[in-house]
Amino acid sequence: MNPDSSKDISNKDLKIGVFLCRCGGNISDTVDMEKLRSSVDAEVVEEFENLCSINGRKIIRDSIIQKNLDRVVVAACSPITHEKTFQKYINPLNPYLLEMANLREQCSWVNPDVETATEKAISLVNASIEKVKYAQPLDPILRKTTKSAAVIGGGISGISASLSLARQGIKTCLIEEQPTIGGAMVKVGKLFSPEKLAEECAMCLLNPLVNEAVEHKNIKIMTNTTLKAAERRSGNFHLLIESKPRKVIEEKCISCGKCAEVCPVEVKDSWNEDMTFRKAIYKPFAQAVPDVYTIDLENCKNCGKCQEVCRMNAIDLDMEGEVIPMTVGSVVIATGHKTFDMDKRPEYSYGRHDDIVTQMELARIMGVNGPTKGKLLKPSNNKIPERVVMVQCVGSRDEKPGGRKYCSKVCCMVAIKHANVIKQHYPDTDVIICYTDMRTPGMYEKYFKYAQSNGVRLIRGRPGEVAEKDGIFTVRLEDTLSKEPLEIEADLVVLSTAMEPSDGTINVSGLLDVGLTEELFVKEKHSKIKPVATEVDGVYVCGTAQGPKDITDSIVQANAAAAKISELINGGVELEPFVASIDQSKCTLCKKCIDICKYKAAYIQDGILTVDPISCTGCGACIWECENNAIEIMGQTDEQIIATIDGMLKDKKPDEKRIIAFLDSVGYVSADNIGINKITVPSSVRIIKIPSMNRIMPKHILHAFKMGADGIIMGEYPYNPMYSHTKEKIAGLKGELVKNNINPDRLAFYKVYIPYFRGLANKFKEFDGEIKCLDTP
Amino acid sequence: MKFIPDKDILLFKSCLVNVEYPGVESSTSYIFDRIDVEYYVDERQSCCTGLGHYYDLFDQISTTALAARNFHLAAETGHKNIAVMCATCYAILKKSAKILNQNEEARNKVNQILDDSNLEKREYTLDDMDPTLNIFHVAEIFYNKRDEISSLVKVDLSSLRVATHHACHYCKVHYNDTIEGVRDPNLIDKLAEAVGVETIGWYDHKTVTCGAGFRQRFTNKEASLAVTAEKLQALKDNKVDLLLHMCPNCQMQFDRYQPYIEEKLDTEFNIFHLNISQFIALALGADPYKILGIQTHTVPIEPLLKRLNYSLETNEKIDVEAKKSPN
Repeated sequence: MNPDSSKDISNKDLKIGVFLCRCGGNISDTVDMEKLRSSVDAEVVEEFENLCSINGRKIIRDSIIQKNLDRVVVAACSPITHEKTFQKYINPLNPYLLEMANLREQCSWVNPDVETATEKAISLVNASIEKVKYAQPLDPILRKTTKSAAVIGGGISGISASLSLARQGIKTCLIEEQPTIGGAMVKVGKLFSPEKLAEECAMCLLNPLVNEAVEHKNIKIMTNTTLKAAERRSGNFHLLIESKPRKVIEEKCISCGKCAEVCPVEVKDSWNEDMTFRKAIYKPFAQAVPDVYTIDLENCKNCGKCQEVCRMNAIDLDMEGEVIPMTVGSVVIATGHKTFDMDKRPEYSYGRHDDIVTQMELARIMGVNGPTKGKLLKPSNNKIPERVVMVQCVGSRDEKPGGRKYCSKVCCMVAIKHANVIKQHYPDTDVIICYTDMRTPGMYEKYFKYAQSNGVRLIRGRPGEVAEKDGIFTVRLEDTLSKEPLEIEADLVVLSTAMEPSDGTINVSGLLDVGLTEELFVKEKHSKIKPVATEVDGVYVCGTAQGPKDITDSIVQANAAAAKISELINGGVELEPFVASIDQSKCTLCKKCIDICKYKAAYIQDGILTVDPISCTGCGACIWECENNAIEIMGQTDEQIIATIDGMLKDKKPDEKRIIAFLDSVGYVSADNIGINKITVPSSVRIIKIPSMNRIMPKHILHAFKMGADGIIMGEYPYNPMYSHTKEKIAGLKGELVKNNINPDRLAFYKVYIPYFRGLANKFKEFDGEIKCLDTP
Repeated sequence: MKFIPDKDILLFKSCLVNVEYPGVESSTSYIFDRIDVEYYVDERQSCCTGLGHYYDLFDQISTTALAARNFHLAAETGHKNIAVMCATCYAILKKSAKILNQNEEARNKVNQILDDSNLEKREYTLDDMDPTLNIFHVAEIFYNKRDEISSLVKVDLSSLRVATHHACHYCKVHYNDTIEGVRDPNLIDKLAEAVGVETIGWYDHKTVTCGAGFRQRFTNKEASLAVTAEKLQALKDNKVDLLLHMCPNCQMQFDRYQPYIEEKLDTEFNIFHLNISQFIALALGADPYKILGIQTHTVPIEPLLKRLNYSLETNEKIDVEAKKSPN
């Protein structure tokens, strides 16, 4: 970019004050302060022992007022340490008219030699002076989010999140794909809990929550609906919700069930895990919410018999689905899980014999509202089993093709729960659990011991096969404690199948552009310190959509997600203004920037390209796409980058080598860590902080080489959503160098991580050596 | 699914096939000729070393060097796609190709060995051989052309109760390349289906080893044959007439040792054993002696043919080696 000449002159006229900090000797013991002072060209150059002290503030402020300064450079420690402090100290100037030169972490602490440290300090200060000339007064961005939310998924996680949001006065829409809310929890019958040595009734605990959700004025429950599309607009989400026609008018249906009596179509009832039959017009279970019948579109034959008997005229066979638009401030993904596909483990013979069931099927068998009204009877012959063998880790902790490498976390407790229930009601039935490891952390260990005291038997070993002969199953395994192969006979085999991300979880994440983990669960922004937040601000996750977990943990996450949304709504967000800015006169609405942006920050509103400052990270990837130069990143304009490069390379001596290191924020902190640990870095290295590698374009690189740089190294943290573009760009940049007759080996790339600062220091040394070799004939 | 070629194929000779069941190779050629597979048999090809390798007689580097030489022969005649009849060849060749591509040190060492043997021209260059896209089992080549096979069936075999035994070294070693199932392998079942035979599908011990275990058969005979006996018993429980194989070593274990096990356990299994190539060739009307080579079997196949009302008289019993491949 070519700054016009008038701007150039005005920049030269700016009065700049440079304040040098000795940092109690941390800087001045290594840097020749006298030489530094005399080399700096500015209106005011002052030097202090401790600039960050309250006295420092007085001195800076007095200078600004007395000398009428326009811009300030503070040459002291790392901006990470004290930038916020000095931004306040330069009041009455706008805080963004300050630049810091990092003389401590990235100069005196890494450069023990006085002469080279002083040279480096001069260039760091020069770079800051050059850059600050182009600084613009900016305001931090304040945003408030609409007081509404959509919760996708009506299981225990979604219901809990909705209730918490609603109780905080947030209008919440609960979107459920099935005709009823309740999810997996309504099917499991009994629950284990961390404290009690007893199983509680799932329905009894869930019902009050469901009722509250139904009655709460802030919750709108939308069953039979799915998310079809989602767009982000300055902190709000525009969603399109598609509803399947229920073909029963909710307001009229009194749930008498006469329709189901006459319906001639029988289909397998998925609510009972396909172990019973229901009609094509049905209500999944007695306490279903909403309490209305639904026609199963796949199986209904449109015979009209139900219509004939319905006295309420509630059945409308011509009912059509609709697409409903809505705008909400935040979204919660609570789309749950599914269980492992047993076709992938044929050796367990599931599907070949009725009496080989999953834990969920066993839960239905033992559920009082299940196919046997709660009696433990074998599906094949309705007899009480003599021996139940449970197989743990079916599909979990399994590295073979199709398997899931992770632990599904709940299956040990589920197996123990079912074993306890069996032992209580059928003490004569032998229960054996074949396990890999029993994982019952915390208080759950008590429940595990309780199961052992009830006579539940445990064998350590993962069964290899379940075979059948004359109606008796043989479970084959190695007892890994006695190291003996074993064959256990059983007449009911129960498989503890792995938890997998549901199709809904994968679809919804795709629509919202939320990142997924390697296992296709929703990825948290940071799994340790930013739980329930996703990579997209304003979208949160809870329950098994995020990973395998039990009901207790799901509810905790649901409440956490609601609390994060409340933070957004009540506190608003204050953001640094370093985001993309669009020159509307140049923008042709080609939408290429929209396509490239993984943060979904750019969008078109009322015919104008708009950037959502909450989403934009200022990475600069869009600039590459913009053919009309309509985009700038505030605080990182081309002028500022070029000026910084110029400053870094100013007064370079003929025999001197200078390497420019462009580091992203992670790389910059890593470089500070090199200083904190007093590791020596080659004196040639000059670090420039940038938002992302995507910001650095061929013109910047070529300019740096033109101005005398001997090498350029770029460092970026690889786990950011735009990283995939980085690799292509490095290759492109190298190509540009070749075209301009510059050896591409002068450009290097390095993945940076905050704790691996030693690796970065070594890379600097290595690269410095390589550059020296290149220049040795 | 991976791409399966029908031309530029080197039909890789197997020592066990040639020595024990030469009819497997002649059956394969017979089928290939009928379904228009373009292939070549190279007399210069050496053994894959598999048997020796698993007996600890050949180390990995010798095995890899021989593989490099064979790969070069394949490319030289324009038959870069290798099709094997033996699961040991299959796993050994894939592993060698992976080593040659991924381990630079080993590749250099192998090339040095070739140089030292005055075979510079056979040196291996990176990615000469793609372990997934250039190395196949012949059953996969059949599978790719199963519709053509179906259209050529002449003999109705559907009255037989058939089960399949999938070779471990096809299913369990390079399992990402395996087609039609790893844990529930069905490749041969699908081929049987193509000639009009519905197999029994899953049975207890379907995925279990034949028991041979290379040296185990000799050094650990009791354990080795116990596994075989268990599997035979499961097949007998399922009233199986015929077990189909895809590896000559498995076929040996069952065919050669079945009478021995029957005697030891004082029982009768009465199960016939055929390789999938022999079975398809039979369905296509091939001569049981000249093409299938049933005269080299220990468990006689004649009673099976009789049950099919196969007229043996017309096919004069001749005591010759199975027909050599047409190339």
